[in-house]
Amino acid sequence: MSIARTTALSAALGLALLAIPGTAQAQERQVKITGFGAMSGVVRSFGINSKAALEAAADRINRSGGVTLGDGAKGKIVIEFLDDRCNAEEGISVLRRIASSEALVAVGPTCSNVAEPLFGILQKKFGDAGDTGLQFPIFTDVAIKIGLAKISEWAFRNVPNETEMYATLFKWLKATKPNLKTIYGGVEENFAHSRATWYAVMKEVAAKEGFEIKGESKWLLEDTNFSNQAREAKKAEADIIAIAAHPFSTCGMLKEMARQGVKPKLLIGLTSSSSTETLQGCAGEAEAIIIPTSFAPINDQARAAADAVSKFKGSLDLHSGAAWENVFILKKIIEEQKVMAKPDTVKADREKIRAGLAKLTVTDGLIGKSKRTPDREAIKPYLFVHAKAGKWEVLHTPAVN
Amino acid sequence: MDFYLGLLQIIGVHTLLGLSAYVVLLTGQVSLAQAGFMAIGAYVSAMLTVLAKWALVPALLTGGAAAAAVACLVGFPALRVRGLMLVVATLAFGEAVRLFFFNFDYQIAMGGIKVGPLGGEGFRQIRYFPENGWTTFQVMVFIWLTVGVVMTALWWMDRSRVGAVLRAVGEDEVAAQSAGLNLTAVKVSAMTLGGFIAGVAGGLYAHYTTHIEQGNFNVLVATFAIAYPILGGLSNVFGTLAAVVFIQGFLIEGLRFLGDWRNLLFGALIVLAMNVRPGGLLDAQTMSKGLSALRRLLDPAYGSAAARQAIDGLKDAGAMFRRLIAKWKGAFGA
Amino acid sequence: MLFIDLLQSIADGLLFGATYSLIGIGFTLVFGVMHKINMAYAAASVAGAYAGLTLLKLAGLPPLLVIIMACLAGAVFGLLTYVLCFWLIPLSHPLATLMSTVGMLLLIDEIVVHLTAGMPVNYPTVMGGMVSLGSFLLRGDLMFIFTIAVLAMAALMYLIYRTRLGLATRAVSQQPVAAQLCGMRLGQVNALTFTISGALGGIAGSLIGSAVGLLSPLLIAPLTVKGLIVTVIGGLGSIPGAIIAGLLVGAAENVFQFVRGVTERDIYVMLLLFVFLVFRPGGILGADPGRN
Repeated sequence: MSIARTTALSAALGLALLAIPGTAQAQERQVKITGFGAMSGVVRSFGINSKAALEAAADRINRSGGVTLGDGAKGKIVIEFLDDRCNAEEGISVLRRIASSEALVAVGPTCSNVAEPLFGILQKKFGDAGDTGLQFPIFTDVAIKIGLAKISEWAFRNVPNETEMYATLFKWLKATKPNLKTIYGGVEENFAHSRATWYAVMKEVAAKEGFEIKGESKWLLEDTNFSNQAREAKKAEADIIAIAAHPFSTCGMLKEMARQGVKPKLLIGLTSSSSTETLQGCAGEAEAIIIPTSFAPINDQARAAADAVSKFKGSLDLHSGAAWENVFILKKIIEEQKVMAKPDTVKADREKIRAGLAKLTVTDGLIGKSKRTPDREAIKPYLFVHAKAGKWEVLHTPAVN
Repeated sequence: MDFYLGLLQIIGVHTLLGLSAYVVLLTGQVSLAQAGFMAIGAYVSAMLTVLAKWALVPALLTGGAAAAAVACLVGFPALRVRGLMLVVATLAFGEAVRLFFFNFDYQIAMGGIKVGPLGGEGFRQIRYFPENGWTTFQVMVFIWLTVGVVMTALWWMDRSRVGAVLRAVGEDEVAAQSAGLNLTAVKVSAMTLGGFIAGVAGGLYAHYTTHIEQGNFNVLVATFAIAYPILGGLSNVFGTLAAVVFIQGFLIEGLRFLGDWRNLLFGALIVLAMNVRPGGLLDAQTMSKGLSALRRLLDPAYGSAAARQAIDGLKDAGAMFRRLIAKWKGAFGA
Repeated sequence: MLFIDLLQSIADGLLFGATYSLIGIGFTLVFGVMHKINMAYAAASVAGAYAGLTLLKLAGLPPLLVIIMACLAGAVFGLLTYVLCFWLIPLSHPLATLMSTVGMLLLIDEIVVHLTAGMPVNYPTVMGGMVSLGSFLLRGDLMFIFTIAVLAMAALMYLIYRTRLGLATRAVSQQPVAAQLCGMRLGQVNALTFTISGALGGIAGSLIGSAVGLLSPLLIAPLTVKGLIVTVIGGLGSIPGAIIAGLLVGAAENVFQFVRGVTERDIYVMLLLFVFLVFRPGGILGADPGRN
């Protein structure tokens, strides 16, 4: 490469590097909310759906007049969505980029392994001058691994509380299906969320409800051979098999179970698997699997939201449902906290939003109200769905909060 | 601003990772174990600052030393294999290290909560930087000081007899051996030095990301470690830096405005870069051309020479197309 | 009881290893001819399986034909890999093709992700059913895969040792310059090798898809690693070696999993591999360990 090309390349490189954080538009007032998550790799569908839900919700708000700002003016919500490729370093980079822009709050990420370092670089305690962590509010919609928001006072989540959901599920099973007495687990060992859900949630609450735990089979996220695991499951002869794994390996295991003729009386799945992915992968073998979830189009509001999101080329499920809810929760906070959304109030506005989020005790959601806990997590309403003829159908709706 | 500082941190750490593979590559060994060494450095130094409350620099050095020790141990058996065998052997070793940390639990209670590595759940809250009041800028400066030291040392090494020895082994082992070089010593030293640099890179990585888990040190990271020097060219350390800027700065962050196309372009541009510049972005020829051009630019009498250089450059750009046409003719017997 | 389980575990592993063998054959074929490694091979194979499924659905054909469709698509991807990653890069830069194929791997992976949103896709079962021998259960589809692997080997051996094309291939692989001087077109022979290995990859991809029951971009990385491992254990360039190595790796994996659990499984597989390579650098059936 000689001079001409070197210069051309470095000029292009430099331009591309410089042409970033959003050039401030001098239009009427804008409230910038930036979403981020995985738009590539096997979790791409999560990013697509979150982005669509954020855009659809903002569109709905803007078309009905926008947000009322602190001085009475009306502002429009502007959504941007950035890809972190489910990679920790890139997630940190994306968050710094968002914090360097005029965005007031971020919604994301998709992956728990990104959320964890991300929350780690935030300031741990609000107002602690000795802590140089980033001061920027995050309101997570997807990353669900248990107990993450306690890492920082700038981190908030609107994700289902799995302990609550599975406890109710087992209570309900005990009451309605008394012939089920034993349970056997299947767990994806190298995925933090799946692991935590079996060991810290399903196993614990099932035992508490008096189910006998017959043990568990383990596999890895990308495994393809489940012969040993299915045989172990067969030997356990449990009434219930609970699978804490994501769609790819859930389907792999279910297919091997079908081959070896393992037929438990009941199958239970991981919250995150109550998406179209599982049905696209193995509708036949997943028939009748029960999964607790925090979203299903059970009322007019939820159906309308699902329609709106599909216009933005996404589908509304328990994860993107949270993204949708977050925009409306944030709108309310912006109005209550008198956020100004002016270029020189960015820092103050972010603090106001953090304060507003911290103050919440109850929020509106698509299928009912959610409670907020002191460690900045949500206890969302939930229901049980099961797979029936290639579709998710609502099986039971416990009394909501 | 914060964003650019953060990006510079990432570029700094990846440059170290690339340099660790660079040293090994000079002796003709392609090592996919660098991510494993990085993991060792990351876990050791993070455990030292978090659990043992050490200061950062000694923790980083110890992490580097631990990785170097392991690399040295691997260096001996790895001598027996070459080429693709070595690639796969080091890949296997790197994966074994990663999987070791997948099974590694060492938690102690501190202030009511348990801290330390916990197998598949990873190692949370490595917050040395924010807790000690380091700003993003200071962290960036610290990382680049480290990079500066390592690059200067390697630059000097490259120009000294040591560099000549490493390259001699890389170019032709048999000839090097007949010239009286001790292959074992040379290769194992390169491996050890590479391990040390990767370990330090890992230590820095653990501290600026605050959370590490086995998945952060997978085959893809190992592949990138060797990709940087290969993509950049092996003539000197700046090639590696150029490649890191190309991948982390341009392909990952710079192309972000392309949205969905960015990810597709990522692989495609690597393929293109290797086709256009099979010897790396900054090969020896380019470096010398660049240096002489710089000299000429500083000298006003050579203004027209710079223009001539630019024309030469256009011709050079046509090299790939000439190759293409030649191949085309060859393939169809025209 | 434990012994029977162990035996069953070995049997399952050996059978599943057939899928690794199939991928290994393709890797080793390219290596045998060009002395280069094609990192994008497993990715192209999986992409071939996806393309085969798409073609099958478009044409509305019976499931068994997915193999043929995938084979055709795989051949195209193989040729494409050659053109994009090897054709223009001078032979004097061995590392450049390693990197260009890594780029290709990432590109193929991302194209698949973009077209499917990363979601798993159900794959038709080509040959189903379990065969039971006493208390043993053996998977029929995996035995079918093994048969295909052996047939593919036989066909390749025939091609290489009994045809003019094979003669050219061997000539090019042993003495590229001399072969060229004898009027052989290096580019053509190499392109053909890639096309054949790609076609085989398509078959492998579709059979693996049907054995797993699913296609997902998640398959690509493990298959790439397994393919490399099988290639070197079998001995670089040795097709029968790759088949044996595939079965061995499959069995070793399942046994370690049975004995030590899934989280430690791969540590032992990797360490075993490392030790094996160090003490037998030529692989099981490798001819010349010094060459690369």
